Amino acid sequence: MHSPLVKELRKRLGHQNVISAPSELAAYDCDAFTVERRPPDAVVLPGSTRQVAQVVAVCRQHGAPVIARGAGTGLVGGCLPVRGGVVVMLTRISRIIEIDLRNRMAVVEAGVPNIKLARALAGTGYHYAPDPASEGASTIGGNVATNAGGPHTLKYGVTVNHVLGVEVVLGDGSIVRLGPVEDPAELDLIGLLVGSEGTLGIVTRVWVRLTPDPQDYRAMRAIFDTVDDATETVSRIIAAGIIPAAMELMDRGILAAVEEAFHFGFPPDAGAVLVIEVDGPTAGLEKQQQRIVEFCRNSGAKEVLQAATAHERELLWKCRKLAVGAVGRLSPSYFIQDGVVPRTRLPHILRRIAEIGQKHRVRIVNVAHAGDGNVHPILLFDERDRQQVDRALAAGRELLEECIRCGGSVTAEHGIGVEKIEFMNRLFAPEDLEAMNRIRQAFDPTGWLNPGKVLPVT
Amino acid sequence: MTTHNLPLTETITPADQAEVADAVRDAYRAGTPVYPIGGGTSLDYGARPTEPGVGLSLAKLNRVIDHAAQDMTITLEAGVTMAELAERLAAERQRLPIDVQLVRLATVGGVVATNSSGPRRYAHGTIRDYLIGVSAVDGRGTAFSGGGRVVKNAAGYNLCRLMAGSLGTLGVITQVTLMVRPMPETSALVICEVPDFDSAERLLARLVHTQTLPVAVELLAGPAWQEGPVMGPMLESSTARLLVGFEGGEAEVEWMVGQLRNEWRDLGVASPLIVLAAELGLMWDWLTGFSAGLQINVLPGATVGLIETLLRLDPGASIQAHAGNGVILVQLSSSEMPPTISSAVANAGGKMVVLSCPDGAAVIRAIKDRFDPKGVLNRGRTA
Ligand SMILES: Cc1cc2nc3c(=O)[nH]c(=O)nc-3n(C[C@H](O)[C@H](O)[C@H](O)COP(=O)(O)OP(=O)(O)OC[C@H]3O[C@@H](n4cnc5c(N)ncnc54)[C@H](O)[C@@H]3O)c2cc1C
Repeated sequence: MHSPLVKELRKRLGHQNVISAPSELAAYDCDAFTVERRPPDAVVLPGSTRQVAQVVAVCRQHGAPVIARGAGTGLVGGCLPVRGGVVVMLTRISRIIEIDLRNRMAVVEAGVPNIKLARALAGTGYHYAPDPASEGASTIGGNVATNAGGPHTLKYGVTVNHVLGVEVVLGDGSIVRLGPVEDPAELDLIGLLVGSEGTLGIVTRVWVRLTPDPQDYRAMRAIFDTVDDATETVSRIIAAGIIPAAMELMDRGILAAVEEAFHFGFPPDAGAVLVIEVDGPTAGLEKQQQRIVEFCRNSGAKEVLQAATAHERELLWKCRKLAVGAVGRLSPSYFIQDGVVPRTRLPHILRRIAEIGQKHRVRIVNVAHAGDGNVHPILLFDERDRQQVDRALAAGRELLEECIRCGGSVTAEHGIGVEKIEFMNRLFAPEDLEAMNRIRQAFDPTGWLNPGKVLPVT
Repeated sequence: MTTHNLPLTETITPADQAEVADAVRDAYRAGTPVYPIGGGTSLDYGARPTEPGVGLSLAKLNRVIDHAAQDMTITLEAGVTMAELAERLAAERQRLPIDVQLVRLATVGGVVATNSSGPRRYAHGTIRDYLIGVSAVDGRGTAFSGGGRVVKNAAGYNLCRLMAGSLGTLGVITQVTLMVRPMPETSALVICEVPDFDSAERLLARLVHTQTLPVAVELLAGPAWQEGPVMGPMLESSTARLLVGFEGGEAEVEWMVGQLRNEWRDLGVASPLIVLAAELGLMWDWLTGFSAGLQINVLPGATVGLIETLLRLDPGASIQAHAGNGVILVQLSSSEMPPTISSAVANAGGKMVVLSCPDGAAVIRAIKDRFDPKGVLNRGRTA
């Protein structure tokens, strides 16, 4: 009744840790990219690195694709078993092994949710800087695999800047440990593995760099008539040599959603809002805040709110944090895109996104990590209406093409997965893709690790 | 300049990437090595190649392609010197916050290929953290690029990370795009004498919990550091000197200097020396200019213990530790390395720990075979 592959996996992992009933497999037929679905042949829940290595070895013998999966919050279909195969859940490998303050690092297993690490670090004076909006669920392993970002990347960098070491199971079932001392003696394999979306190896353990908690914060929220006024402010702040910890932009559309859902009291004609935060030693913050407020006013802000207490700061951030969820109230389905342009092209790309929405008759609202030029257009549609789905997909495609035309890229933080694979040929020359293919072959000569992802088939 | 360490039959100077590709293609056909040469400041880095081959100077690839100051990025050819890069950026009150030796000679391509860094890596990292786009010519003469011109990019494998620190073994780097940073308003160094190694570890462990944000944490020991600018000679009774650097706004730096003094006072450091902005240029140059024969990486917490051991094995050695990063630079007292050093390093926790596949060596070999199948590039530089 069961395939030899499933039998073999059960022998290694125990009956209860191998799922093969079609009714249960359906839950693993997609991640947060729900447009394409296909169930895997089996799902395994290994409890240790050794077991992951065994699974990979068994799959290799049976010629089955291996798809690593953390929390499944990925937005580009990285967990989609495009060619069937075995989904390897990392969620049981989820201990925080050590918080080592003397070495400013923490050792965690891949399945640890980002928030669990954040909580474990609270009160130590240190934190783990990458904080994707999905931090409540997404795993450190998934964050590493996608090189996750978040609102604080402008000042603090993305995941790759915070990984000191990894333990990884390679395509041949061997276990390799890289780091955690700095400076690889040879090639930076860690730098390659971060962001490789499960195609170069399965990360089982991570040595993450810890960042000192800022002594203090100053958060501000400015309301503008137009997106251009807001982006002008961003330019002035950057030109003045200030690197805020975060600079988040919300456009008219998303503000309407937030207002509808939560009644923050934004003026109905608000065209854009910036949430700006600076952090660091208290002594330096007053002046930075004053200057930022001045830049906001000079660029035409109608209102600049400055948080005076921790509570006010929380309130001020709340509208940004609730923004994406609020979209759910406007539309039965939505789709968060991820594009990036040189920061000075922000006004242009936001204008074009609006035009593209009109053209395809798709409502698009925007949040952006403005300091990085990273836009997250959110496309609203009704999943039950195939025409709407197609129009949303077409609009998504067109706005990414526009990002490329502006000298940008089709993803700043979500990755390629299956969703963006068609763009790789446009973003890169054949020789560039060839170089990437060599890397894949070097890591995984048989190609069973997450096939059909990241690189188009040549 | 150490160019003459290379076994060169001739040196050619291509004018652009296409000519670089031609040269490598010729070498590929002939199966002879190619040795890329930037500013010639680090050609003794790594093992010494022995097989005669063609020197490939990047001196003519010296154009700044685009300084997108507002976007905080700059795109330039690999042969541009670090000094020119710094001047360009300074005109817009920007900088690349990487400490590099011999900036008038060192080229951007060379700095990327060696993943250079210095004291301020404690806060700013290495050049790897700033490289967002790269173009190179592989060992078959094929040009390829990775990354782009945006500061955040998750499309495809991170070829930038791969090329940084690859010592020219995967490709001749021809062009890079770097993310840059604003110039800080001011900076300062706070310096104290360290009587013994126990105190050194106590001070470093305390720094982990400092309220300040140091950009550099340097521990210096040995004869090379007896004399230096500004500070005067090291005390007879000292084992080492500890230097902590700060950068930022005026008020911020002033506060941090005062705060660190308070924190140190509790540890018995009475009157640290404070060096302020005017004299700091000299100090950074001095700290960056150390010529070391050996670089050892350990976890930060193992730094002091290993330095103590190293000085026992070679009492005449001089040492500079980027102590917050666990990077130890060693200038041995003689050209013979005491054989016991490598086991001491291993005992302190090596660079890569092996479980079942030797430290990724198989993967590294496999990558190199694919980028440079005939071993044309920098043959003999690495294993
Ligand atoms: C509401 C929402 C908000 C989000 N906000 C952000 C944001 O602010 N910034 C951001 O960057 N992303 C964001 N994301 C995207 C997503 O959360 C991140 O990509 C996250 O890092 C994925 O983690 P995960 O554990 O869910 O991984 P999964 O979705 O399970 O997997 C993602 C990819 O990584 C691979 N993978 C997972 N674990 C491993 C492993 N251990 N070893 C090797 N490969 C592995 C998978 O095969 C897949 O290709 C958001 C998603 C949602 C739904």
